[in-house]
Amino acid sequence: MDILRRILAIAVAALVATPAAAATTEIVVWHAYRAEEKAALEKVSAAYNAKHPATRVTTLAVPYDAFADKISAAVPRGKGPDIFIYAQDRLGGWIEAGNTVEPVDFFLDPETKGRFIPTTMEAMTYKGTVYGLPLNYKEITLIYNKKLVANPPKDSDELVAMAKKNTDKAAGRFGLAYAYSDYYYHAALQNAFGGHVFETGAKPAINNPANVKALEYLLKWLDKDQILPAEPSTALITALFNDGKAAMIFNGPWFLGEIAKDIDYGLAPLPRIKEAGDKPMRPWMTVEGVFIAAPSKSKDASYDFIKFLTDKDAGIIMALEGRQSSANKSVYADAKVAADPVLKAFRDQVEVAIPMPNLPEMTMVWSPATTVMNSVTRHAASPKAALDTAQAQISKDVAGLRKK
Amino acid sequence: MAAAPAQRLRFLAGVALGAALGAGLVRGFVADASGQAADATEERKAVVALQAVTSLVQRAGGEGEAVRKGVAAWQARTPSVSQVRVFVADGMRLEGSTAPDDTGERAAPRRLRREEKPLYDRAQRIAAAVRTNREEQQARKPEIEAAPVGGGRLSLAGPLEKQSAPAGLVEVETALQPAPARPGWSRFLLAFFAPLAIFGVLALLLGEKRVPLLIAGVVCVAASLLWMGRTALSEIARQQERGAQAVAERVREQAAITQAISASEAIQAPAPDPGSWDVDAFRQPRGLLSSDGSVNAQRLADEVSATGRELRRTLLAAGALSLALLLTAGLGGLSALGATVKRHRQAYLYIAPAILGMLVLVFFPFAYGVTLSFTDSNLYNTSKSIPEIWIGLGNYADILGDFAFIKKGEGGTFINYLNFYWTLLFTILWTVSNVAIGVTSGLILALILNTKALALRPIYRVLLILPWAMPNYITALIWKGMFHQQFGVINQVLQALGFSAVSWFDRPATSFLTALVTNGWLSFPFMMVVSLGALQSIPADLYEAARVDGASRWQQFKAITLPSLRPALVPAVIISVVWTFNMFNIIYLVTGGEPGSSTEILVTQAYKFAFERYRYGYAAAYSTVIFGILLVYGMVQNRVSRATEA
Repeated sequence: MDILRRILAIAVAALVATPAAAATTEIVVWHAYRAEEKAALEKVSAAYNAKHPATRVTTLAVPYDAFADKISAAVPRGKGPDIFIYAQDRLGGWIEAGNTVEPVDFFLDPETKGRFIPTTMEAMTYKGTVYGLPLNYKEITLIYNKKLVANPPKDSDELVAMAKKNTDKAAGRFGLAYAYSDYYYHAALQNAFGGHVFETGAKPAINNPANVKALEYLLKWLDKDQILPAEPSTALITALFNDGKAAMIFNGPWFLGEIAKDIDYGLAPLPRIKEAGDKPMRPWMTVEGVFIAAPSKSKDASYDFIKFLTDKDAGIIMALEGRQSSANKSVYADAKVAADPVLKAFRDQVEVAIPMPNLPEMTMVWSPATTVMNSVTRHAASPKAALDTAQAQISKDVAGLRKK
Repeated sequence: MAAAPAQRLRFLAGVALGAALGAGLVRGFVADASGQAADATEERKAVVALQAVTSLVQRAGGEGEAVRKGVAAWQARTPSVSQVRVFVADGMRLEGSTAPDDTGERAAPRRLRREEKPLYDRAQRIAAAVRTNREEQQARKPEIEAAPVGGGRLSLAGPLEKQSAPAGLVEVETALQPAPARPGWSRFLLAFFAPLAIFGVLALLLGEKRVPLLIAGVVCVAASLLWMGRTALSEIARQQERGAQAVAERVREQAAITQAISASEAIQAPAPDPGSWDVDAFRQPRGLLSSDGSVNAQRLADEVSATGRELRRTLLAAGALSLALLLTAGLGGLSALGATVKRHRQAYLYIAPAILGMLVLVFFPFAYGVTLSFTDSNLYNTSKSIPEIWIGLGNYADILGDFAFIKKGEGGTFINYLNFYWTLLFTILWTVSNVAIGVTSGLILALILNTKALALRPIYRVLLILPWAMPNYITALIWKGMFHQQFGVINQVLQALGFSAVSWFDRPATSFLTALVTNGWLSFPFMMVVSLGALQSIPADLYEAARVDGASRWQQFKAITLPSLRPALVPAVIISVVWTFNMFNIIYLVTGGEPGSSTEILVTQAYKFAFERYRYGYAAAYSTVIFGILLVYGMVQNRVSRATEA
């Protein structure tokens, strides 16, 4: 009985004590991070909480598979978080659907805007309005096996020469391997030729002459130079590289964890393409942004936190501990970050990277574009004919979406 | 059946129910329509004011002291508007404002304050809408936003343009006229009691005669509802006319005000055409007013009759519903239903939890899916309500009405693989060939396993059932790997035998073959187990007797084995037809529809329409069509299997 009374007394005391704490603003952040990225984000939010007693930021990890759908379903109904972290590809769709992403254009002062790599800022902008702050970016770059390639190639001539030397189809060895029939990977080559998917006004233009040239150029690597494996799935690329049977690959930061321990690898920017007027290959990049949910009740406090999260100090933690390529330029001035070969390689590559379109119409592109890549690399259709078919399909789908 | 007076009483109850429901529905719909017409008028009047002040601001140069003076003068002469704010995007400036708070320290011009973010966001949204509509050369995004702000006021905003590019925002807040009082109950009561009274008198005269009572009841209710509907329709037409006059009056008033201000403030730019101020949300003139601001009678009549048609349709549906209720009650349907529920109270109680579960888990999603199939729901409009995106049978017409699956193009004729009939044809081919392969191979293996003399029978049996025991997506991925052009085991065997490697997923025929092989591998164990069970239940003395009669093995098979297998095989085939018809995993994982959606079956196609092309409404219609096909198949199959049972 006595113990019970004591517990009751403590409970009452706790109840009485809470009103003092109730004045804090609660901010909930949803993210899809695991392992070290999650730990780094939690560290940053703990640092923020320590500095700002009036605000309490809590982070919640949501499984990646369901993340985007969860945002689409929960946020417009006011059941979601205050802040969420996601790549820019769904941004346009969420803005068009409405009541999901809060524009931050109004909050954004030139100084804050200036601290980011300009292209990452571009990824956060939809129809002239900024909707989030860029946190990090991901893109593909050249990864090579140091045993087979001493100095990474600077241009396409060097690349083809080195690749030919390392190719022996009978033995299943290839000088160059990448998922070239995946449109995302092919985009790097396409952008070198000045290609694009949309013209102004989200008008589909996938069959533009530059895209045709880029595909024809890919066929040169595939048929004339014979330096690429057939039907390159991601599993195949991993296996080839880990067996030392692929000298060079084009891949992104997600691949680094899959490289076998005994492979000594290096990273370098993608080569310039002689046939494209010596222009560099320009990969598509995805930019993860921090977005404020439109129905959030504490937008001012939320903006303060996302500003903190994308600032230099937080960026250094996210880079060194979370292994993220920060979108904040000043992070790379840090000695430890500058000394990191992986972070440096992706920072070099981002100079020419192009943000993947954040238009909702982009979702109409993937399926027809995959068909183009498959039929062209398997010689079932010429580049021009395949792109024309895709263009007709995309135009029809986009028109179907836009009709009232 | 019931005693004599029941007929009259029942019909009286039916008339009461029908009249009450009908009159109630009509009253509700009419009040709704009249409220909408009133709101529309108020909004149009506010839009005219907004357009007028915007034109004034624009003519005064869009910024500077002239704008502020003009706005103040306009506000002073327009009492229905409580405040005007002019925002210029360049420098985030509040260029002019007549809001009561914006005086002294907060007086315009000044930079927007932090709490004024909604104004800035609104300007950005409208600017984006104007640009989008121009780029797409259509009216898709609203360029004038109207939102209630509480206190019976409406806030409207439209773009401020500089060299015909959006450069800011003009926002007005207007007090709305109080909404017209909802119609009284007198008409409802009349429409309820009059038919009741008349029917009562008629019933006394007619006596207990079923058919005359029925006719009398229907006529009474129909006549009263007709009267109620007609009066309401003509009232709404009058209301619309009054609305048009009010808008026209507002236009003339605004024309006079802006003219006076531009004279006194010495604004030089030419005055616009006031008739064009009455615009819709896309800033396109409604055309109800002519350029001098008078009502265009012809266009108004068109609009009135269009609204009338729509309302009439709703009212007719309401009338039909109430007559149906009358008939159900009058002919004894209701009392019969009540009696059953009462009699089988316990049974209904027992199934209530299951019914509840099915309502939530089956019927609701199903009904939602079917409803969605009548809309144009897609990625862009998920936040809109269903009536806003209703397109009726449009999706079905698109799917079922397109027979052109063979097209003639530049490079000769080709098949349009996205066509519904191609996919249906392919699905049928896929189902028939798979079931045929499954049944034949399953039956042959069962016959082999049924051989008594076979050594190690249990081991074979276990081995042959294994493909069934594995999750089918794992099997599918393994087979896909085996068909890889360069590293797949099948091509390596082919090459070892001296053939050249085949790119399996390049041509529809070979691509189909890969899926067929995979599904064949997955489906024979089921057929084998079913046949084996049936084989073992055939009494051995039948075969003995046949042997004594001198029948050959083939004759035994045909006359004994096959007929005995039939009761087991027919249901198995029926069920595997449904499975194969909807075999999503294999197609999606093995061929992925390659090349170019040629090997897509109906369900994978529906999936791709929903989750790759984001046309939810279209995909819902697609799924409903699939449901319809399987429903027909199910009914035919039911009849066939009943025939086999008999």
